[in-house]
Amino acid sequence: MEFTLLWQAGLGVAAAVVVARFQRRRGLVSRDVGLGDRLVGAAVVGMLAGRLTAMIVQGVNPILSPADILVVRGGVHTGAASLAALATLVWGLRNDLWNGLDAAAPAALAGLAGWHAGCVFRGACLGTISSLPWAIAQPGSTITRHPVELYAAGLYALAAAGAFWLGRRWTLGVLAGLALASAALVRLATQPLRPSIGGGPIGWYLAGTMTGLVVVVLRYRSTAPP
Amino acid sequence: MWLLATAITLAACSAGPPVAADADPIPPLAVDEFEVLITTSDQPLVVNVWASWCVPCRSEAPLLRAAHESFGDRIRFIGIDVRDSQGDALAFMAEFGITYENYFDREGAIPSALGGFGVPLTFFFAPGGERVFFQPGVIDERTLALQIDELLARS
Repeated sequence: MEFTLLWQAGLGVAAAVVVARFQRRRGLVSRDVGLGDRLVGAAVVGMLAGRLTAMIVQGVNPILSPADILVVRGGVHTGAASLAALATLVWGLRNDLWNGLDAAAPAALAGLAGWHAGCVFRGACLGTISSLPWAIAQPGSTITRHPVELYAAGLYALAAAGAFWLGRRWTLGVLAGLALASAALVRLATQPLRPSIGGGPIGWYLAGTMTGLVVVVLRYRSTAPP
Repeated sequence: MWLLATAITLAACSAGPPVAADADPIPPLAVDEFEVLITTSDQPLVVNVWASWCVPCRSEAPLLRAAHESFGDRIRFIGIDVRDSQGDALAFMAEFGITYENYFDREGAIPSALGGFGVPLTFFFAPGGERVFFQPGVIDERTLALQIDELLARS
């Protein structure tokens, strides 16, 4: 069992729940939509769908090998996980969709910041080789590297703070679109600094960024004054 | 009904490709031969211990194949198939398109000599045989890429 992964996931959940509660206290969430529960539910469904898809792509039959679903380190399909998490969130918030998604935006970004910062529990923050002053080395190695997951955590924290600050200043749905675009953009921007064999799911990150921007434009234009 | 259809589809997807009847068997390798192999290699080595019946080995097989395709000219990839049958092992290699050198270790003596237990296991050796890293269990892309960096820096 991946206990270090559980700690990492726990930090992500804690960050999301704390921000969701803070929003509620500040009155930024118009009604109690059970934001923390919905975000955690979406994350769990996304992880499960991503893992199942990765297993099928790798040629592992999930029915014949159900225990392998727990081997998260074997791979999680980014696209399937993201789509499933988003679909779960949209379904959960369907009665008040844009209001709910806007409310979820800062908490979701904070959750991503917590998840990436949780790399410290696993010793999994390291990226590509770097000689910058803050580069760090893994134990037993003289090669220093970018702490790329901490870069991502910092960018997500900035995005969460920005989303929190922007609050309800724009048309409903614009904030959600911005959050989706920034979530994908952070991964896209940091991907070149990640150690990778196949280059990473760049296409999915681009698709996420573009989808978020399309949502921003459509929602902004839908109610913008003529 | 949908569940049944999904189950049948998934079960069908799990069937591996046929193995050619004239496929060469995986050559056996003894512990002392393996020690000579790693100490005399002028390239760094990634040694993956696997078995066709090992489900987590399936998860990492595509990753190891991709790594071999990208770094096979600078790093020597070796598979050690343990506690397996030749037929199942050859079918596994055919299914995942594994073309790097593999050896057959029916008793699992090589991983035992290296201090490993179970499958999968992945060992990283610098040229000359110094062990750089050992990954018990499934290896993920990040760990594999990091350790390949380490090997390339030492070679």
